[in-house]
Amino acid sequence: MIHLLVHLQAAAAPASYSDQAWLNTGDNAWQLTAATFVALMSVPGLAVLFGGLVQKKWVVNTMFMTFAGFAAVLIVWVLWAYNMGFGSAWFHSGNYANYKWTGGDLSELFNNFVGKPATTLSAFSLEKQGTIPQVDPGMPAFGIPQASVIYFQFVFAAITPLLFLGSVLGRIKFKVWVIFVPLWTTFAYAVNAFLLWGGGFWAHQGAGDFSGGYVIHLAAGTSGFVAAAVVGPRLKRDREKALPHSLPLVAIGGGIVWLGWNGFNGGDPYFASADAATAVINTNMATVAALLTWVILDMYLSKAKKPTFLGAINGMVVGLVAITPSAGYVNGAGALGVGAIDSCIVWLAWNYLSRVNFMKKVDDAMGIVYTHGIAGLFGGLLLGVFADPTVVEYRSVGGSAISLKGAIYGHPGQIGIQLGAALTVIIWDGLVTFVILTVMKALMPSHSLKYADDILEIGDLAIHDEEGYPDDRGATRVLPGYSESAVHSAAAATVAGGSA
Amino acid sequence: MILVTAVIKPHALDAVREALSHVGIAGMTISEVQGFGRQRGHTEVYRGAEYKVEYVPKVKIEILTTAETADDVVEAISKSARSGKIGDGKIWTTTVDNVTRIRTGETGPGAI
Repeated sequence: MIHLLVHLQAAAAPASYSDQAWLNTGDNAWQLTAATFVALMSVPGLAVLFGGLVQKKWVVNTMFMTFAGFAAVLIVWVLWAYNMGFGSAWFHSGNYANYKWTGGDLSELFNNFVGKPATTLSAFSLEKQGTIPQVDPGMPAFGIPQASVIYFQFVFAAITPLLFLGSVLGRIKFKVWVIFVPLWTTFAYAVNAFLLWGGGFWAHQGAGDFSGGYVIHLAAGTSGFVAAAVVGPRLKRDREKALPHSLPLVAIGGGIVWLGWNGFNGGDPYFASADAATAVINTNMATVAALLTWVILDMYLSKAKKPTFLGAINGMVVGLVAITPSAGYVNGAGALGVGAIDSCIVWLAWNYLSRVNFMKKVDDAMGIVYTHGIAGLFGGLLLGVFADPTVVEYRSVGGSAISLKGAIYGHPGQIGIQLGAALTVIIWDGLVTFVILTVMKALMPSHSLKYADDILEIGDLAIHDEEGYPDDRGATRVLPGYSESAVHSAAAATVAGGSA
Repeated sequence: MILVTAVIKPHALDAVREALSHVGIAGMTISEVQGFGRQRGHTEVYRGAEYKVEYVPKVKIEILTTAETADDVVEAISKSARSGKIGDGKIWTTTVDNVTRIRTGETGPGAI
């Protein structure tokens, strides 16, 4: 009887998602694995990477804001933001198969800018065959369910604000952070994603951003820099003595971020395909090229002329970011070139642009504007140079190969397209970040987005009543329901009783 | 010869070091210590359990100096470590019988 009931319920579900004839278990297994890898880059990856890079008194706050930001994004993601990035165009119903801005009216422009907000909570919206309606015609049909697409894209949406958390660490109020993050996801990230990935304007122009050199890293670098300027600097003393408190934590976090990137770039074809594998090995080639380039530059051109571990970590991050836009569009030689060239550019910026007064004035605590902003900007432009048309992302339904062609293969125009997309992200995200934080600042009773100086002097203990490395000497449990004097007299009575 | 010992708030150390360099101090020893005075401890909360933590982190400074400069040293520390709030710390002096510089075997005020 029970069996029969189960059978009947199954039969009652719409055929469109109950039969799952479209399901490719290999694709789905890889998609969920890749998504989990990317999630691990945030928690604990960035939590311990940043946690190790800050002073001891900030480690709890830093790790905590990483976890809290990750949580805050998922709520808005499933309630409205996913569909703003990957859903249907706002003002038109029906099939927007090849919808493309032709210089038409404002609603047409809007349809190219952001998707229509909608939840992703129903059984159907989770279990149906995966789809990104505005780009479907250019892609083969997905072998993964929608839930896999939503979660995979969530972990990207989540890591982006967590990257630029690095710009505002060591002073931003906890409350400000957890309110700002979902707003930024809604107004900045969803737009970035729709413009380049969801079938918006730059997707139709042929701009390439394989896994988020622009949508994520340029966005994080820009927003972090603007946020750092609006929030204001850390304590003068904290800026001057910004020594990392634990390099072993940095090693753990850095390692998780590096290998987690196999999912970051390897998951983006949405198929467990040859291009997924290409993207994974390209990612690692660009990363080692950038890491070694940075270390060599440190050894021969830096003042100390010594290889440093934290220099290697910077180079590693730059390589990972650099290859992100082009991981599945370049060949192996291209990957090595992208990593080495971008590492040189960011090394120069890190060491020389940082001396410019304007850059010094803004307290971007972890230098996210360099290792993500500039690295992402040039990574995307280098796609325009190195994209190899014979590296095929996938074959469309019609059988034609989807790939991009860079300048060295005779299409210099790709660089211009990349630059256009980059400028759009810089301007929009800079503006959105500035407006949200300025409004929040005006609404705060204190008109400040950061803690008062006496709290900043103490850090974790003043903000959370916790510290990274507590000492049990002198600590006495305060039992609930007992006043302090009651505890003391009870203890005294025990001692007295014991000695009697 | 005098040993000046001071227990101060950790973040006052830079200001104290700066002030002492103007007095012409040749060296000092610092250590991280914990303790309590009139300043109350603080509360920490772990997994919902509240703890009263009695000892507060401080920095202890020790400076060997001559009897003539001891007052200047005390004054420099006192002024530079003062925030006016409870918990600024204390300074005390003790007379020292002898001092030896290990490298040369020199003793007395010349070894300071």
